Amino acid sequence: MIRSFGYLLAGIFFGFALSRSGASDYNFIHYMFTGENFKLALLMATAIVIGVIGMMILKALGNKDVHGRDIKINRKPLNKYTVIGGILFGIGWAVSGACPGTVLAQIGEGKVLGLVTFLGMLFGTYIYALMAENKPLL
Amino acid sequence: MRVVSFLFVDLWPWWLGGIAIGILIPLMYYFLNTALGVSTGYGNFLKIIAPATKLKWLNSDTYKNRFNWRFIFIIGIIIGAFLSARTSGMPILTSEMGLFTEELSWSHVSYVIWFFAGGVLLGFGARLANGCTSGHSIHGIATLQKSSLVATIFFLAFGTITTFLIKLFVLGGS
Repeated sequence: MIRSFGYLLAGIFFGFALSRSGASDYNFIHYMFTGENFKLALLMATAIVIGVIGMMILKALGNKDVHGRDIKINRKPLNKYTVIGGILFGIGWAVSGACPGTVLAQIGEGKVLGLVTFLGMLFGTYIYALMAENKPLL
Repeated sequence: MRVVSFLFVDLWPWWLGGIAIGILIPLMYYFLNTALGVSTGYGNFLKIIAPATKLKWLNSDTYKNRFNWRFIFIIGIIIGAFLSARTSGMPILTSEMGLFTEELSWSHVSYVIWFFAGGVLLGFGARLANGCTSGHSIHGIATLQKSSLVATIFFLAFGTITTFLIKLFVLGGS
């Protein structure tokens, strides 16, 4: 129960931060890609640097979580699908002006077209589920 | 008063957004022993829509409990953005989407098709690549993973190429 509340809190914090910093704004993403405004790229770079420092601190403290268990980093595989998926994702990012996180922020902000993007994402995930059925390697 | 409007009304400067989002990675690992990530949670919603699905992938361990943390986290993001919209005075509902709806006067159907198509590419692409901007670009690079760097390079490269094509052929070079 407390854990669930923790996740809810983390989500609220994330959604609030995305929305307050303009990450869920179509123009911000568009202007980052055209090179007219790098605010969003700077935001992402800052987040990465802060994340690296934070993970270094956790490591220096023994790599344990609050309950004293080892922290397990979620490792992602690198294969040709990383590239193919990355390309499709990049195109989708530019087309919709959103990503799977910021589209949720758009929904919270009442952007109806964000909800449309979200439904598209569900459908895209469903296509993947169908394909994974026949190709277990996917 | 100034602090209140800085945090709740004005748009945050990039460094504040960066710090807030970046710090979430170690905090989630420390308090919840969980990797920050969003896109896997879209499978939860499919399972909620179709609980009796026979698809193997949706019956994997990841989706055993469709109301697990990923679902709660996603609901949290929506609530957080809703709160941000309220404190900064955004409209409750809007059909606008930045430049795209300002400069074009498409029919509703065309907009729906365009954004739905973008979503399909995002949803499918994120699953193929095993992550999205949160899981790969922020969490993955911050935890020094090669696959995340590769994915992010392709996200950005093809986002840039596509944006230039959109500028040229859709927004009419404006």
